[in-house]
Amino acid sequence: MEINRRHFCQILGSAVLLPSLTLAADDASRSAKPKFASAAKDSAGQFHLYLIGQQGEVMLDHLLPGRAHHTEVHPQLPLLACIARRPGSFIDLVDYREQRLVKRIIAGSGRHFFGHGIFSDDGRWLITTENEISSGQGRVVIRALEANYPIIADYPSDGIGPHELVQQPGSPVLIVANGGIHTHPDHGREKLNLDHMQPSLLRLNILTGKRLEQQQLPAHLHQLSIRHIDTNQQGTTVIALQYQGDKGHNLPLVAVHHPGQPIELLRAPPAVNLAMKGYCGSARFDHSGRFAAVSAPRGDLISFWDLHENRFISSIKSRDGCGLAATGNSTEFIISAGTGRCLRHNLQRGTTVRLPSTIATAWDNHLATLPL
Amino acid sequence: MNSATKPLWPILLGASLLLTAVSVVHAAPSEQQWQSLNQSLVEEHILPRYRALQHSSAELAASTTALCHQPESVQLENAQEDFQQTMDAWQEVQHIQFGPIETLMRNFSMQFWPDKKNLIGKQLNLLLQQQNPDTLNVEYLYRASIGVKGLPALERLLFTSSVHQLANNSYRCQLSQTIAAYIAINSQATLDEWNNGYSDSLSSAGSQNSYYDSHQEAAVDMMKSLIEPIEAIRDQKILRPLGGGQVRPKRSESWRSQRSLRNIQLNIASIRHLYSGTTNSVDSLLRKQGRGPQADNINALFNRIEQQLKTVQTPLVTSLYQPETVDQLRQISDALQQLDRGLSAEMLTLNIQLGFNSRDGD
Repeated sequence: MEINRRHFCQILGSAVLLPSLTLAADDASRSAKPKFASAAKDSAGQFHLYLIGQQGEVMLDHLLPGRAHHTEVHPQLPLLACIARRPGSFIDLVDYREQRLVKRIIAGSGRHFFGHGIFSDDGRWLITTENEISSGQGRVVIRALEANYPIIADYPSDGIGPHELVQQPGSPVLIVANGGIHTHPDHGREKLNLDHMQPSLLRLNILTGKRLEQQQLPAHLHQLSIRHIDTNQQGTTVIALQYQGDKGHNLPLVAVHHPGQPIELLRAPPAVNLAMKGYCGSARFDHSGRFAAVSAPRGDLISFWDLHENRFISSIKSRDGCGLAATGNSTEFIISAGTGRCLRHNLQRGTTVRLPSTIATAWDNHLATLPL
Repeated sequence: MNSATKPLWPILLGASLLLTAVSVVHAAPSEQQWQSLNQSLVEEHILPRYRALQHSSAELAASTTALCHQPESVQLENAQEDFQQTMDAWQEVQHIQFGPIETLMRNFSMQFWPDKKNLIGKQLNLLLQQQNPDTLNVEYLYRASIGVKGLPALERLLFTSSVHQLANNSYRCQLSQTIAAYIAINSQATLDEWNNGYSDSLSSAGSQNSYYDSHQEAAVDMMKSLIEPIEAIRDQKILRPLGGGQVRPKRSESWRSQRSLRNIQLNIASIRHLYSGTTNSVDSLLRKQGRGPQADNINALFNRIEQQLKTVQTPLVTSLYQPETVDQLRQISDALQQLDRGLSAEMLTLNIQLGFNSRDGD
């Protein structure tokens, strides 16, 4: 980009013009606000990290070395982290203002990532779930942004196959979804322990690594993998489940956890629960922290839940829809889909609008909205 | 990170250049073409198959009733023959996994398979032990476990019972009759919903009343029905019975009625019909897109698989113990994989995205 700009200036050949150009650009930068960031796959099969603006314009296109999963936005800096999906080993940290790769973290020897990582809410740390390949045990690893991402803590996740992790806002509590599924890079993505899997939800003190609480589902539901979670200010965690048992069992696929209590399964109306096809892909609270959206990409639907009253509210259709993020408005979500389509749904108004789009791409599992 | 003062226009310029590059896609079929294809597939492929299923399952319900009235070997053979006809019809439409067959889990109710934990055996034995007359009605089956209300449960009852066990209007015979009635009701309801709504939803894609936003989106469901079953047939019907090093013949589909191989033959013939057997077809669409050689290759693979299937000795439940059969099935499995890849590659030509998160999420 720098080369382009210099080249362009040479063509213009006049320093006098520059100030006015800069002014115009400032106007453009004010009108072009980033809306969301997400990993994606293009029609040629290449993987990208995109930053998309309010009008659907591409504000960043960063080529990834492989398929990623979750994208995390830094709370203060113009920085995105894009994490390789299982069993990948890269995290690309990209400065979207300078349009450059700041750092590519490679998983430590004998480790790989699970597709999820977060910045701590003070912005100082990058925290990931990892697999210790030799033992198959899950780890929670903290890297400091200061001094080029050294590992400063490496905690057990007290389970196998840790997947998504979130921080309870304004607290040192980290919540980790131990999916329970054992995989080994030698066997690709094959699931090695479906008969014995033991998923769990872990609450952990980030500063000490101390386990605060760990919850499992009842034994007969052990094949419901706890994979995607989100947490509100009160530490209420919404859980999106993936069923690994025989198709045809119509088990609940959404659950909620309040600190100190057992996990509570939530039921959608039977027809909706059936339509979810045993598989939820993402869960997010809205801006208020009361309402949550849960995607079911195999069922082409998004369900909405009231977590004050622990009840299903409604669902909408979104073909291959998976990525979810809250907007700055309460009861409002953005949904991204493998079809390339993005929707904005307002629960209170009951409106769904299609977001403007300027590229054809398949949006990967998760997206993140940017603070305005 | 003192970049806030930098002008943003290089980014915007870069973005617009990039846009031009990315938006160059294959010349894909038009909405009109997709509409024509969908219409042909509904009228010439899907509806005739659901009609056949409705017809044969109604006959099966009648012949199991006759069997209970007159439990003699002729009646048992009739019921078995009607079961075979119904299973034929089901295997020819098993690949359609969208629309009314999904409603209320009808697809699983018709056939819960593979049954890795022997749920069907356990549930059925429980019913046969308890002999509770309250279970002998269709309303009970609506609420009953998925294992006891479909074709596999009925297969067990009709193909492992003696005439003696079915005599005197026994519980076993009445349960067979009830399950057959339930299958017939399910088949009728699926056909009715296609006729009264779902066909219209497909043909009016893009309108307010349709489930689909476009004809292309509706075609995605058709293309999934074409491609996804190929992997399922390979994995479930061929590789699972082949086992890891030791063959597992009783993992074959419908082994009790000795029709495991016939099921695969019917599946392939039906998928081939979906590919090229209708007035407007995927095959003709590919040729219009200039993909004649690729379409020829797909046809050649269908030919090869059909020929290979003809050479396999039946029934699989016994012939699987022969190394020759194992070799043949491995070759068929390889050819199915090539067919899967060949068809999947052409989806790019047709600008069809079968599903990214739904098929390969995490």
